[in-house]
Amino acid sequence: MTATTSKKSKRRTYIALGLCGAAIVAIIGLTVVLSNNVVYFRTVSEAVASRESDGGSRFRIAGEVVPGTVEETRNGVKFEITDGKKTAAIVHVGDPPSLFKDGAPVVCEGRWGADAAFASDRIMIRHGNEYEPPEVDSEKASTGAQDVPAEGTVGAA
Amino acid sequence: MSAPGTDMVSDADPRSGERLMAPVARRIVGVLALVTLAALVIVGLWVAPPDEFQGDAQRLMYIHVPAAWLAYLAFGVTAVSSALYLWPRTRSLVWDRVAGASAELGVVFTALCLLLGSLWGRPVWGVWWAWDARLVTTAVLFFLYLGYLALRRVPATLDVRAKRCAIAALIAFIDVPIVHFSVTWWRTLHQEATVFNPELDAEIHGTMALALWIGVLAFTLLYVYLLDLRYRLEVLDEDRDERELEAAIADRVQGGPPRETVGASS
Repeated sequence: MTATTSKKSKRRTYIALGLCGAAIVAIIGLTVVLSNNVVYFRTVSEAVASRESDGGSRFRIAGEVVPGTVEETRNGVKFEITDGKKTAAIVHVGDPPSLFKDGAPVVCEGRWGADAAFASDRIMIRHGNEYEPPEVDSEKASTGAQDVPAEGTVGAA
Repeated sequence: MSAPGTDMVSDADPRSGERLMAPVARRIVGVLALVTLAALVIVGLWVAPPDEFQGDAQRLMYIHVPAAWLAYLAFGVTAVSSALYLWPRTRSLVWDRVAGASAELGVVFTALCLLLGSLWGRPVWGVWWAWDARLVTTAVLFFLYLGYLALRRVPATLDVRAKRCAIAALIAFIDVPIVHFSVTWWRTLHQEATVFNPELDAEIHGTMALALWIGVLAFTLLYVYLLDLRYRLEVLDEDRDERELEAAIADRVQGGPPRETVGASS
């Protein structure tokens, strides 16, 4: 009696372990397969390289707004973005987000237009993981406070 | 009192793991959590400077990042206690209760993290939501553990429930490292980790980093406090269920009119 029940529970344990193993393999497999497809944006260089071959499909392009290129148009804004190697012209329809400005890191959604410019209808700002206070004054004030003892030691020396 | 058999069972059964912490310890942790939360409000809202680029919206980070950290911590505790439950030498319902309580807190803080991130994304990114790897895997995390909590509500004996939930918790935990490394493995709209990035090189102004660390400390203390409280609630819940079951059995055994015996035994 006890032998059969323990056999049964053993078999159940194996089934449970098997299911766990299958789930883990499935998740890892899915991750590996998806890792090539979950690219959220293309760099300017990649986008320019695939301009001929992508057949006008919709994608996202990321780069920094080239300072001095931003121009308002009738129904949006026109500017250039760069990834440091290649530059692309963007023609955007609609209002840019409030943090849009010269040098801003942007992700634009749209497709290559006929005029070799990227026709965008959505701009997102891709912020990095660096955080700094704004004014030079406050920066000076904080470093200045640290400098006081340093000056004191200089004076003492 | 009129049903001696019932009282005998519940009194003679010395429950192990009635509580996680002594009530005094919980109170101290609670007070510390309140103090650090107050410090977080002051440092986060007034002492720390606004970000050069994002302005005041960046301050949401001081609760968004601690909320994400707590989700990791809570699901980590759930995974470890689930493993301790499954391991025959350490098998105890204490671990099952810890796992359940911690998962509940994890779900709450994952939801908070998603919500705060969305509120931050609108002014900074320009969108409420983006289908990037970080956001999607975090949403998956939320629903995985929502499923885990649903599994805990499926009627079963305590041992059966504990076992199947422990297995589910271990499988669900696989998503946690995927969420954390999603910003490194794939290109995402979400920025990389500020503190625990692969280079371990935090590019954050000193006072801002201070606010962040106070936030992490405050949320961790809050987690410990709430975990103990939730654990206690689980023990009381189990107690009540057991008593109700015993009362129902006593009714059947005595064969008297049910209403009278229920009234007498309570």
